[in-house]
Amino acid sequence: MKVEVDDVVLPGDFSEEIDTAGEKGKVILGPGLRKEIDKVYITKAGVLRKRAPNTFWVDSYQKRYVPSRGENVIGFVVQKSGDIFRVDVGSSCPATLSYLSFENATKKNRPEVQVGDVLYAKMLVASKDMEPEIVCVDSHGKKGRLGVLNEGFVFKCSLNLVRKILNPSCPLLESIKNEWPFELAAGMNGRIWIKANTMRETIAVGNAILASEYLSDDEIKNMCTNIASILAGHVS
Amino acid sequence: MGAEEQNIKEFKLKPMKCELNFLSKSDGSAILSQGETVALASVNGPLDVKMQSQSIEKSTLEVLFCSKGGKPSVGDRYKENIIRQTCETAILSSLYPRTAITITIQELEDYGGFLSCCLNTACLALVNSGVAMRHVFAAVSCALDDRGNILLEPTQQQLETARATMNFVFDSRQKSLVTSFTEGAFSEDTYKEALARCRSASDLVFSFYRDIVTKYSKVIG
Repeated sequence: MKVEVDDVVLPGDFSEEIDTAGEKGKVILGPGLRKEIDKVYITKAGVLRKRAPNTFWVDSYQKRYVPSRGENVIGFVVQKSGDIFRVDVGSSCPATLSYLSFENATKKNRPEVQVGDVLYAKMLVASKDMEPEIVCVDSHGKKGRLGVLNEGFVFKCSLNLVRKILNPSCPLLESIKNEWPFELAAGMNGRIWIKANTMRETIAVGNAILASEYLSDDEIKNMCTNIASILAGHVS
Repeated sequence: MGAEEQNIKEFKLKPMKCELNFLSKSDGSAILSQGETVALASVNGPLDVKMQSQSIEKSTLEVLFCSKGGKPSVGDRYKENIIRQTCETAILSSLYPRTAITITIQELEDYGGFLSCCLNTACLALVNSGVAMRHVFAAVSCALDDRGNILLEPTQQQLETARATMNFVFDSRQKSLVTSFTEGAFSEDTYKEALARCRSASDLVFSFYRDIVTKYSKVIG
């Protein structure tokens, strides 16, 4: 079926807008789109989006993570073998992490990473034919915010929820960050790590995030003030 | 009888109701009722898989079918095969090499047209899981009664007295035939007529899919 931008699309649909844009210049195809011999076809169900000038993608619902380059993910170390760590990032195959890809790590100075640790890392290699590789440093050799996440609490959610709360227009983090202090790391693989001063506050952050999946912006703001007042009421 | 003939002319299918993401733990799931027939499907994957069953160029598709009694039978294996081959044509498995995608289908109620209900549920579950697909597919069943009339989406009683039953699966791109599964004796012309009617009826299933996805895409911002 022929579809337009901002329409609901199903796999097998096509958009003439993409084809005509492709004749004029370069087009960037995001997730959910695939070029075949004659046309560009849609491969995922969701909403077709466009960003000027020529970027197209499909906003779709997904829970299983498929690695893609440059994304920040949260993983668990499952194995230490020789000079690499194997890290479970939720994809079909565990990612590898060299012990040299930490800040200030040398052959003599090994990073302190144990099996079972939670890591915040960046996807360096993500190809369908190769094992994914992650690193805990940027290209300048600095760790930035990457590395082992100590203490805190990790929970899983859908990939859409992570994208939603990281969207600058989402009011969730804006409204709860001033209510009580907490730390948060969101991995694009559908895992979120949170750390607050008390157990109650940690649960409050977690519940606020999970509840915001199916709420509109105004409802999120309401919910956040509710949670904050409940929390304040019991603490005092 | 008059009312039924009317239904066939207007290509009315049994009322369909569906819930996506019915199971919280699986990557994609759907529960679908077509009339009184109900099936539940869950999709997991792309997952890691052991060496002997992995393929280096595409993902392996595994279909598990659980009947209501829980006892596996030869008929169930046969159904699994039909569903697997149909889904294999739809999934872009070359995008996920060395992995496996598992589809589990649970029978909940069978009041006729169960195979086509299973196929539609599997398609909705795949759509929900976000696995890349070439096209979606719609299954429509029909039966041939003893007077030679073609009944679309037959009921249990109609199936018991039917001379033949036919199941057709169409893709969403050109409405071309993906799977055809028939039982009983019929002439070639009858087959062609049944195929044409089911093909027009598949439009209703496709528009139902679109409605469901529209409903769910509103909440996902």
